[in-house]
Amino acid sequence: MSKAGLAQFQQVFIEESLEGLDTMESSLLALDDGGDAELVHTIFRAAHSIKGGAATFGFPEMSSFTHEAESLLDEVRSGKRAIDGAIIELLLRTVDCLRGMFARAQAGEPLNDAVAEGLRNELALAMGRGVAANDLQARRSEDHADAWTVRFRPHPGMLAGGNEPLRLIRELAGLGELSVTPEFDRLPATLAALEPSECHLGWTIELKGPAKRADIAAVFDWVEDECDLVIEARHVVAAAAPAPAPAVTAPVAAVADAGAARTQRDSSAESSSVRVSIDKIDGLINLVGELVITQSMLDTFREGDIDAARLAVLEQGLAQLARHTRELQESVMGIRMLPIASVFNRFPRMVRDISQKLGKQVKLELVGEQTELDKTVLEKIGDPMVHLVRNAIDHGLETPDKRRAAGKGDIGTLKLEASHRGGNIVVEVSDDGAGLNRDAIVAKAVQRGLIANGEGMSDDAVAELIFQPGFSTAAVTTDLSGRGVGMDVVRRNVADLGGTVTIRSTQGKGSVFTITLPLTLAIIDGLTAAVGDERYIVPLVSIVESVQLKADAVRSVAGGGELFRFRNEYLPVVRLHEAFGCAHAVHAIEQGLMVVVEGDGSRVGLFVDGLIGQQQAVVKSLEANYRRVQGVSGATILADGSVALIVDIAGLVRLQGRRKAA
Amino acid sequence: MSDNIRSEALQSQYLTVNLAHEEYGIDILAVREIRGWTPVTRIPQAPHYVLGVLNLRGAIVPVIDMRLRFGLAREEYNATTVTVIVTVAGRNFGVVVDAVSDVLDVTTDAIRPVPDMGTAVDTEYLKGLTSAGERMVLLLDVDKLLQPQDAQMLEAALPAVSDVKAVA
Repeated sequence: MSKAGLAQFQQVFIEESLEGLDTMESSLLALDDGGDAELVHTIFRAAHSIKGGAATFGFPEMSSFTHEAESLLDEVRSGKRAIDGAIIELLLRTVDCLRGMFARAQAGEPLNDAVAEGLRNELALAMGRGVAANDLQARRSEDHADAWTVRFRPHPGMLAGGNEPLRLIRELAGLGELSVTPEFDRLPATLAALEPSECHLGWTIELKGPAKRADIAAVFDWVEDECDLVIEARHVVAAAAPAPAPAVTAPVAAVADAGAARTQRDSSAESSSVRVSIDKIDGLINLVGELVITQSMLDTFREGDIDAARLAVLEQGLAQLARHTRELQESVMGIRMLPIASVFNRFPRMVRDISQKLGKQVKLELVGEQTELDKTVLEKIGDPMVHLVRNAIDHGLETPDKRRAAGKGDIGTLKLEASHRGGNIVVEVSDDGAGLNRDAIVAKAVQRGLIANGEGMSDDAVAELIFQPGFSTAAVTTDLSGRGVGMDVVRRNVADLGGTVTIRSTQGKGSVFTITLPLTLAIIDGLTAAVGDERYIVPLVSIVESVQLKADAVRSVAGGGELFRFRNEYLPVVRLHEAFGCAHAVHAIEQGLMVVVEGDGSRVGLFVDGLIGQQQAVVKSLEANYRRVQGVSGATILADGSVALIVDIAGLVRLQGRRKAA
Repeated sequence: MSDNIRSEALQSQYLTVNLAHEEYGIDILAVREIRGWTPVTRIPQAPHYVLGVLNLRGAIVPVIDMRLRFGLAREEYNATTVTVIVTVAGRNFGVVVDAVSDVLDVTTDAIRPVPDMGTAVDTEYLKGLTSAGERMVLLLDVDKLLQPQDAQMLEAALPAVSDVKAVA
């Protein structure tokens, strides 16, 4: 197989294996909660296919590592060993370690590291045949030898599986010089008793040449269960230099690694591939078929006069065309839609690890895992959610004694809920913990000079303070949260996706973080605003309301800014014609329209000539051929084929802030 | 036979365009299409020679006015005004010129260096000149017309400029 060809299969193998690891992880967690024996089989199967695949696709280290785990699982499966917390913990770390290996495989780095080496030993120890760390050296040197004896005795049924001993022996020949002695002792005595479809031979193979045990074992990977195999080293190569004894890493470090490995994987996998169900593809093909039929029907109108009767048919055809186009658009968008379960699935493990570490008891509830959203949004929503979940466990939920003192049950509840609401996806992270501590937040905000005092501030306004950059009230900075990079980053990340984050909190009862996201990044709902001769699209999500003001409602303030009163607050005015330098625009306040918009957590009044109408805008990138323009998030094409720019409210607010500061 | 191959290898084609009564050549391999002038959508904070963006079959493509880019007087757009869409380093942009005239075969040895004077256009944007009969053709270095560094520099400078304006 060509190298490029192998690389392509390796990629598929890695993707499949990562899914397999996810399955292993979730099954292990379910087992931890008292699952049934079928789960063990599921885990075993996943490990087995990873092992086999790893050997086939040229990852012998991974294969032999997984083999250890598989052997342990096999003992559990066959009832020789009872599964307990320690084994589950060990296997979970194995999963993490394998993830790390896959990440390294993708990056083309050496697969083994100290963690893998240590874990391999722990797995062996768990099976009672392990070696103490300092004996590893001996074992490892035995792994390299320049002469080997391999006794290979296939079970009679091996041929039925399509495994050809000759092929295996030829493959061994690739490792060095062979001398093969067949063993005939199992041959039946008479020809009549010989079953041609069974294997009656065995071989003793002498291999000369430097080889690793893992390489030899890899040859027999697929037939391991169907033969008796003994691999013995005859001439041991003296170890060149004593390798450092692999440290058995503490579980805590492994936990931290797990998170890191995951994020790494997520970011590298960002644009790779998407799995689409056959149903969706079939639906698409159907639609395209319909479209072709409609098109050929419309094609008949090229010739001949169009009378009243034909006009009716034409109109019907055009209506059909419009319907099919819309359906096709929806279906194509649907391909990018994936259930949010893929994001939610990482949390059971994370919640388990963090809560154990903090000595808290947490019950995780997942609701609406089947809610679908755009793949790009899905990939980027993970990190903000991890942040919120960590915060909820670290700051929100209390320790059991504190909960008892507050008259609550020992076990705190953390709930992740996703749902469709209007044209948006709403993801809620809620806990029944202590809620935000109003006094602490106010004190901190005063200390940081954000506010003068907390009097008269609504609870919502106080809660809003935690989204300020560098704001953290955690008394102790733990390694989980409280480093001051926090909620503002969450808000920024979500805003980049065109979404918003809000918080509702009741002291003593808990907090609810609500992330509102657009269904897709590719199409937004917007209002078309006129400014002079130009048209701009204002995203509907950021519009609070629009008002027509009297000329005296807007006050100029020192420094050149303008303010107007909206409900109970004063909002700064951003004149779009000034920000974008549009000619022929309306300048008089009473002739234009003030659109109250929200971006980056603050509200401003966007002054435009008027609003023309609502439309769906397909977002196109300006950067593809040009560059980023401040205050503009992209462009779209209007019905007449001309281009209109989409206003980036958050960017405009920042621009305004900078002007104010200047 | 071998002579043919050699001369072909050295030969390249240029689309010649008119600009302020002079003739310029654009490497034809960079030219994606030629379209009549259509109004574009202005973009804020753009350098003065960037007229705006247009819709090229779904892609948003910036358009620059060659006259303004070279510091020449702006001319009213008329029936012969065209937008030449060029592709440089994977990016598309349109350049507005007075008219297109011809496609010219130029052999490499017929390209002479530009003397540092005498043309309306800054010699920085030229990679040489050649002649077609009696006419002189200036060969444009399209790579330099809309440079990314250029754009970045502008981007860095822009907030400062708008700040100053706000204060004033």
